[in-house]
Amino acid sequence: MEAGIVQNVILLVDSYKNSHHRQYPTGTSYIYSYFESRGGKFPYTVFFGLQYILKRWLQGPVITKEMIQEAKELHAQHFGRNDVFNEEGWNYIVERHGGKLPLKVCAVPEGTIVPTKNVLFTVVNTDPMVPWLTSFFETLLVQVWYPMTVATNSRIQKQILHHYHSKTNDDLDSLPRSLHDFGYRGVSSVESAAIGGAAHLVNFEGTDTLAALVFLRKYYHCNMAGYSIPASEHSTVTIWGRDRESDAHRNMLEAFPDGIVASVSDSYNIWDTCENIWGEELRELVLKRGKNGGAVYIRPDSGDPPTVVVKCLNILGDAYGTTVNSKGYKMLPPYLRVIQGDGISYKTIGKILENMKVNGWSAANVGFGSGGSLLQKVNRDTQKCAYKCSHAIIDGKGVDVYKQPITDPGKDSKKGRLALHLINGTYTTVQQEGNDPKLDMLVPVFKDGELLKDYTLQEIRERAKMCSSDINVMQFLKEDSANQDE
Amino acid sequence: MASHPVDNLILLADCYKSSHYKAYPPGTTNLYAYFESRGGKFPYTVFFGLQYILKKWLCGPVLTKTMVEEAKEVINQVFKRDDVFNEEGWNHILEHHGGRLPLRIKAVPEGTVLSTKNVLFTVESTDPAVPWVTNFFETVLVQAWYPMTVATNSHIYKQIIQHYSNLTSDNHDMVEWMMLDTGYRGVSSVESAAIAGAAHMINFKSSDTMAGSSLLRKYYHLKGVAGFSTPSSEHSTVTSWGRDNEEEAHKHMMDTYYKSDVGCVCDSYDLFKCLEETWCGELKESVLERGRRGGCVYLRPDSGDPKEVVLKSLEILGKAYGTEVNSKGYKMLPSCVRVIQADGVSHNTLWEVLEHIKTHGWSSGSVFFGAGATLLQKVNRDTQKCAYKVSSAEVNGKCVEVYKQPITDTGKTSKKGRLTLQHDNGNITTFQCGQGDPSKDLLVTVFENGVLLKDYTFQEVQDRASVSPSHFNIEEYLHNGHME
Repeated sequence: MEAGIVQNVILLVDSYKNSHHRQYPTGTSYIYSYFESRGGKFPYTVFFGLQYILKRWLQGPVITKEMIQEAKELHAQHFGRNDVFNEEGWNYIVERHGGKLPLKVCAVPEGTIVPTKNVLFTVVNTDPMVPWLTSFFETLLVQVWYPMTVATNSRIQKQILHHYHSKTNDDLDSLPRSLHDFGYRGVSSVESAAIGGAAHLVNFEGTDTLAALVFLRKYYHCNMAGYSIPASEHSTVTIWGRDRESDAHRNMLEAFPDGIVASVSDSYNIWDTCENIWGEELRELVLKRGKNGGAVYIRPDSGDPPTVVVKCLNILGDAYGTTVNSKGYKMLPPYLRVIQGDGISYKTIGKILENMKVNGWSAANVGFGSGGSLLQKVNRDTQKCAYKCSHAIIDGKGVDVYKQPITDPGKDSKKGRLALHLINGTYTTVQQEGNDPKLDMLVPVFKDGELLKDYTLQEIRERAKMCSSDINVMQFLKEDSANQDE
Repeated sequence: MASHPVDNLILLADCYKSSHYKAYPPGTTNLYAYFESRGGKFPYTVFFGLQYILKKWLCGPVLTKTMVEEAKEVINQVFKRDDVFNEEGWNHILEHHGGRLPLRIKAVPEGTVLSTKNVLFTVESTDPAVPWVTNFFETVLVQAWYPMTVATNSHIYKQIIQHYSNLTSDNHDMVEWMMLDTGYRGVSSVESAAIAGAAHMINFKSSDTMAGSSLLRKYYHLKGVAGFSTPSSEHSTVTSWGRDNEEEAHKHMMDTYYKSDVGCVCDSYDLFKCLEETWCGELKESVLERGRRGGCVYLRPDSGDPKEVVLKSLEILGKAYGTEVNSKGYKMLPSCVRVIQADGVSHNTLWEVLEHIKTHGWSSGSVFFGAGATLLQKVNRDTQKCAYKVSSAEVNGKCVEVYKQPITDTGKTSKKGRLTLQHDNGNITTFQCGQGDPSKDLLVTVFENGVLLKDYTFQEVQDRASVSPSHFNIEEYLHNGHME
């Protein structure tokens, strides 16, 4: 097993940035940039993932003479010319700073829930000789859009689940395991699986994305952030042959006689499997498991989710009986649950839960799983994440910098040196100038190669937990479906 | 620089896969699985990226004792039980295979362009003691969906540009330069940037995603770089001059990068004013002079409705710089100035822009494009419905066909038995249930028992992919509409 593909920090950026060191006005000594979500699908974001980027790529002495030499040769070929690559600038960083990056990054603490259109982090160079460095690392720093957006999408789903668990269940005990990450195969790379999977675990504890667990150990001080259960897949069921499907499920129950086990049940006919196999043939085995404190999770994996889930619950309810909880909703016995892992997104999960509620079923009967929708079907435009220069010092004078394209006011950027204040419980972006620096929620996290803050997953989860000031998620869903966005 | 977050082979799989060795019937000695695109947005597929996965994760003695120990500790904690982790199975691979994976993988040659619903690769266990290995590595092998889908996505951009070039240009040499990859910041990780950046370079030469070339050097024998770019401004290098000094910012760019080509972003405040007053006014002579030296200025709008913005930009520039009508009857700007549209460029918008300017008499040759998220991130495993399924197994000495056929979704039905990929009546077709002729099989053994048996170069991948897919009509594809 070998190291990463890109071993040269100078190659971590859009190549045109190599040409920028010569484009700023002469006399520029400081470039100050900020990062925000300019709006998008969700009205807030969960800030998460910057620490990984800092630790993996930017911390410590990261520039070497060898890297400079390699980058110089590659860029000469890449641009077909020798007047672009900033050899002098990089050599200065090695000679003057021992290869450490003279940058200062201030960020809102990871896990913080911030309404959109607020500054989330700022970056400025600390050595006036290299103002171009601030924007050089935009490419890499902007990739924080991903963990942030996954964490946000995941949390919105938690809010939806929280709503239905509150209304239809005795307690919220099963909430942390109610949405399971199935996305390892459906992301674009193992690294993305690690990052995205970790972002989901800010809100939940159920995951099959092992990469996320080692990621959180390595970068966020959490020894074991998530859990899973033995579960079948189609190959382990269908190999027994169509006539022996019940043997396949029986084998699963016997191979893992204790605890919780899940078995995918739609290989041929989900209704038949629920009614005849789970409802009759294997009933004794399931009851026995129940007496031992274990459980079986039955997994449909195709068809229209709201319909399929309720139909399965009905069939299983008929076979095993139900009780009514303190909120007046039906519960399957504690050793039986359904897990729906197909077609789950923030748009659909509410529909399924609502259909269950309308049919008298508690939300706690069903666990959910999500793969592509959780980890892959997001992009930088989902939360309109952008990094822009807002201030510069040129010839000793501070100047506000901004874009304001007449062709799209949505792309206007903020001006000045920014701070994030909490005013009457609401986050607001203000100017640093004229405001008490002690009120600034942005915290220095990186300076001159050193990491200044080292967040743990535990504190991040604490910051990101459900709270009374959360947006009304059902109202959000109503407005969202009215907008008919894609 | 720290290493990749995952450095343990056993942790490359979904957790539940650790439980599967106990779920197969006793007497199972062989598992055979295949990977396909079950259809989707694009009617064909450019196969690419498996070699990266094999070389990065699966080739050689990839399993070590330390990994087994570490994985045991992790898996036991994840499941909160110790009867899931298959310590015996992994130790068997260490002891009997020196840590090499007892698998045989056959695949269609990388770069091949073929219709969907065909087998693309098969995976089979070679040691009857550990048949479960086949499906253990489904997770990481299925990630081939990404380079494949991006390569195909990019290939279709090329079909669209080529189509309009054929209709409205005399010369098609620039087609492979006309879609710049600007997606490095918009993907989910550096590793993904490298994979997707490389996939795009199969079809185009323009890229700002240096990581793509890094991947190709390391895994596909590329020397140097496969993507090229131009010194270009970004908003910060223009807006830092101040609103009143925008013209000076552009002039400085022109003077600083005096030779050859430059790219200038023009929409910081007022795009059309910038074009009219600066580029068609103050800097016009300087643009023309650069043109006489063989260089070109690429002017970049970055907001607004793409087709309107591109057309209006062309009209403004055409008025000031003059136009020439080519042999197909379409207008071209002089070679010293071009428009590059790199905002919001999906297949649909690309089509809209090119059709719109064509309707107004403009050749496609005056407009270049760039794409970021639409090229590299706005794709997913469902885009091409990529799936990996066991289709055949050996249980108690008998060969059995394995398949699913859910009554709740016939689209998820899988293929049966052992598969071959063959030419058949001018088409490439998949034969199921061992009905094919192995001597005609287009699938090539690329990996066996830890050894890489085929080592494709980037050049051969590009060569294979440089065809237009048969039975593919770009106009039909665009008009029929598709998921966006």
